[in-house]
Formats: sequence, C-alpha cells, structure tokens
Amino acid sequence: MAKGAKIAIAGEGGQGVQSVAGILSEAAYDEGFEALYIPNFGVEQRGGVSVAYVQISDEPIGSPKFKIADIVVALSDRAVHRTKKYVGPNTVFVYDADIKGVDGALPKNAAKVLAIPAIRVAKEELHPRVFNVIIMGAVIGATKVVDIDVAKKALTKKFGYKFEQDPSLRDLNYKALERGYELVQG
Amino acid sequence: MAQKPIEGEKKVFMTGNEAVAWAALAAGADIMYGYPITPQNEIMHYWTRLAPKYGRKFLQTEDEISAGFTAVGGVLAGRRAFTATAGPGNILMQESMCMAEMMRLPTVLVVTQRGGPSTATVIYSQQEVTMTCYGGNGEGFRIVYSTAGQQDLFDYTLKAFDVAWKYRFPTFVLGDGYQAKMREPLVIYDPEVRGVTITPSEPYMAKSGKPGVDRPPTHLRNTYNMEEELLAAVNELANAYAQMAPQVVESQEFETEDAEVVILAHGVVSRAAQGAVKVLRSQGYRVGHFRPITLRPFPDEAIKRVAEKSRRLFLVESSQAQFRKLVTDSLYGVSTPLTSYLKPGEGITVDEVVAEVKKLF
Repeated sequence: MAKGAKIAIAGEGGQGVQSVAGILSEAAYDEGFEALYIPNFGVEQRGGVSVAYVQISDEPIGSPKFKIADIVVALSDRAVHRTKKYVGPNTVFVYDADIKGVDGALPKNAAKVLAIPAIRVAKEELHPRVFNVIIMGAVIGATKVVDIDVAKKALTKKFGYKFEQDPSLRDLNYKALERGYELVQG
Repeated sequence: MAQKPIEGEKKVFMTGNEAVAWAALAAGADIMYGYPITPQNEIMHYWTRLAPKYGRKFLQTEDEISAGFTAVGGVLAGRRAFTATAGPGNILMQESMCMAEMMRLPTVLVVTQRGGPSTATVIYSQQEVTMTCYGGNGEGFRIVYSTAGQQDLFDYTLKAFDVAWKYRFPTFVLGDGYQAKMREPLVIYDPEVRGVTITPSEPYMAKSGKPGVDRPPTHLRNTYNMEEELLAAVNELANAYAQMAPQVVESQEFETEDAEVVILAHGVVSRAAQGAVKVLRSQGYRVGHFRPITLRPFPDEAIKRVAEKSRRLFLVESSQAQFRKLVTDSLYGVSTPLTSYLKPGEGITVDEVVAEVKKLF
C-alpha cells in the first residue's frame, strides 16, 4: 500500500480552505512526495462552498479527484452536508465544534468523527487570521503525512516576506499550526 | 533577443494553465490572442504576466470569434500566434479553425474542456472531443493531442507549435478543467537542451519579393465557385492529411501484451486506467490499457492490433460516447466485444474502473 493521504477540506469562501491545500501540497512536494491539489469551483463569484482535494503519495497519483477520503475537514454547516459523501469506513471526519445544528447530518459510517474548536481557538487564543493555519495543523496532526517542521518551512516559504516585516507573525503562525496539530490528538 | 524563458530544465509544482503558458513561451510564441473563459483564464493570466518580460505580446479581443480570427491573422503575417478557450468559446472558434483547415494554416488552440451542453459546468469534462476533432463545416483535417496531466501539457504544447508549422494543419492541445486547475509536479525545459526542434514560422501573406517573378504568388483560398473545384481542393487536403498522419499519430500501451481485457481511455481518464491496471495486475487480473494520444489522426493500426488480440474491450470516458465513436469507427470489422462506462461531465477514479473491470472476469 502506498504511503500518503487523500484529503478533502471544505468551507465557506474566505475561510482559507484553498490556501491551506496549496501550502500543504507544496510542502509535501518539497519533501519529495508526489502531490496533487485541485480546487472545486462553481460558476459563482462568491458565496459558494469551497472544496479542496489534496492527494499526497509516494507513488504517481491517478485521478485528480477521489470518491472516499482518508480525512475530511468541514468548516461550515453547508460544508458538512457537502462533504459527508467522501466518508468511508476508514475516514476521519473533522468538523468545527462551533457549527450548530449539524448533529443529524454528521456521517455515521466514519472511522472517527472529531469536533475541534478551531474557530474558537482562532478567535479567543490566537487571531482569526490564522484560522486556516490551525486547520492545516489539524490536517497534519490527523494524517501525519508531513512533519510539522516541514509545514513550518512551507509557511515561511509562503509568508516569509510578511514574517520579515513583522516577526510576531511567524510566532503566531507557528503557534496556530501547533495548536491545530494538538486539537486532533487524543 | 531577450533572455530565454527557461534556462536548462527545472522541476516545478504548478497548474496546467501555468504549464501551457510556459510551454508557449519556450516554444517561441510571439503573441496570444484571447478572450476569458473558465477554466482557461489562467493561461491568459500567466501569459500576460510573463510575455512582456520576453518581448512577447497579447491582445484581448471582443469575443472568441475574434480571438480565433486574429490568431489566424497573426499566423498569416508570419507570427507564431496562438489562442486558448473552452466550451462555448470552442464553439465560436470553430469558424476560424475551419478557415485555417481550408487554407492550410498552422494554428495552435489549447482547449480546457468544461462541462456541456451549453454553459453547464466550468469544472471538467471530455465532451469537447467531437467538436475539437470534427467541429465546424469541415472534414476534421486537424491534429488533436489529448493530454493526461501537467507534463503532457508542457510537452505537447511545445510539440503543437512544431507540428502545426511543419504540416500546416490546425493543431489542438485538448486538456480539461482538471488539468487546467490542478497543481502537480512536472519538469519544464528549454526545448534546445532536450534536442526538441520547433519548425520556424514564416509569413504566408505579404512576403518580400515580387509575386510571380521573385517567388510563386501566394494564393490562399477558402471560397470556390464550382463544386468540381471544391472537390479537387478537399481531395488535396485529404491526401496531404493522409500523408502527414503516420508522422504525427501517437498512442501509448500499458501491459497490453498478454491482456485479456484492455481498457480504452484518453486524456486525464487514462490516469485512472493506468492506476486500475496496476491494482488489477497486483490481484492477478490480466488487464491492459490503450491510450490514444492523438485523437486526430486516430491511431487506427495500433488500436486494431491491441483489440484483435484481447478478449474484451472496456471503454471509459467522461462523455456520452464521443470517444467511443472514434473508437468504433476505427475498429470497424473487429469483432472483440466492447463494454462502455460513460460519465458525461464527471471525473472517473481508479476505484471505479477497478470495480467495473472486475465484472468482466
């Protein structure tokens, strides 16, 4: 069996789903993995559910999309409805604990369903801007597909120029990554 | 001469649209004429960002009819011009591409297939096969490369710029929205370092010298008065196409040698087929895969050879049998039974192909 993961991340436009997927897949690629990332996009300019599909593997990747993911991350109620079809018996389904009224919609067939307080941690402990970095940490924590240090390197590659202007941003991002990682443990 | 867009070669992680823009630069394209449509837009975006650095040009026209015709105009003037589009835009470009067919003009059109009919989705399909191969009021005197990923997009965009000018037939790189938008690794390179040559462009109109004295007069026609004249002209095109075909036709085979069942797929779906062959072989099923790379000209001989020695063919595509029409036309007289799995406008995964092929054992 090939080492790697199939990851679906879904949320509202503006939650940073696509940038998480972009940074994560590029981090895996930099580490020598085969990586493929494709966004889902509709005809709407704004207001749609944004889904990102990431595949990381040590073998060449077949189709760009997949039916069943190893990990699904849903960040809004609509995203929960939209992504539960990617769940199979080995899937870890992660959703934000602050999403209300989706209990009935949660997948029944997942290996594990995990509610994480990412929105709250972002708002109360860190900064809303790093919400998606927390999610990236959670994805890495759940899949262990790349090392957390690799993810830090990828963040620096992406935001290095901002980190240089304001070094506190580096700490904030690293912290967010680590907190996300912790949220899915245990 | 500005510096080379790509020095040597380098491994990159990028979208298909970006790969196409780099390939066009590396192929020495002078100008892109374009009109926005998803999922093709970023070819234009990357081109407009990169082109000025290397002294290349861009013109956004008022629609795709104009983009197609201005590309043809650029070619007539001797420029290595190209365009790109998708879906409804591909429809509007058929008129200019037919004119190129009739006048034997080299054009390069990159198509990123989206769902159809009509506006449908901006995501993905393989529903522009018939139109790209046989669109317009023409005879399909075109070269069509169906790519399966980023490396193909780069390699075959380069190649399109060579064969179009070498053989003077409209040439298409037929990708899709998946390839356009996904990111994956590929190697981009300066064609020279790989020994890839690209036929130079030349003006077809307003050449220097006095016509009939210094050089033969240029006489490019797309209008005829007599039906006999037209028949002769089209016969001439058909002959030239038949002579060109064996030099250009391309296909790929995966474990077809002893295969009982052969999967037929093109474009990005070939990746699902390749993955399925791997899985099924590891489970003891004798399965192979045949992939036409050129849909025009179609690899008739190669597919016949494979079809004749297998017990059953399994055809899979993201369209309601547009690819199958090419296959069955090509395989006329071959009696190997064929099962199809058709999903117009939706992607196809390795797991699905594996499950469907197992039903045939």
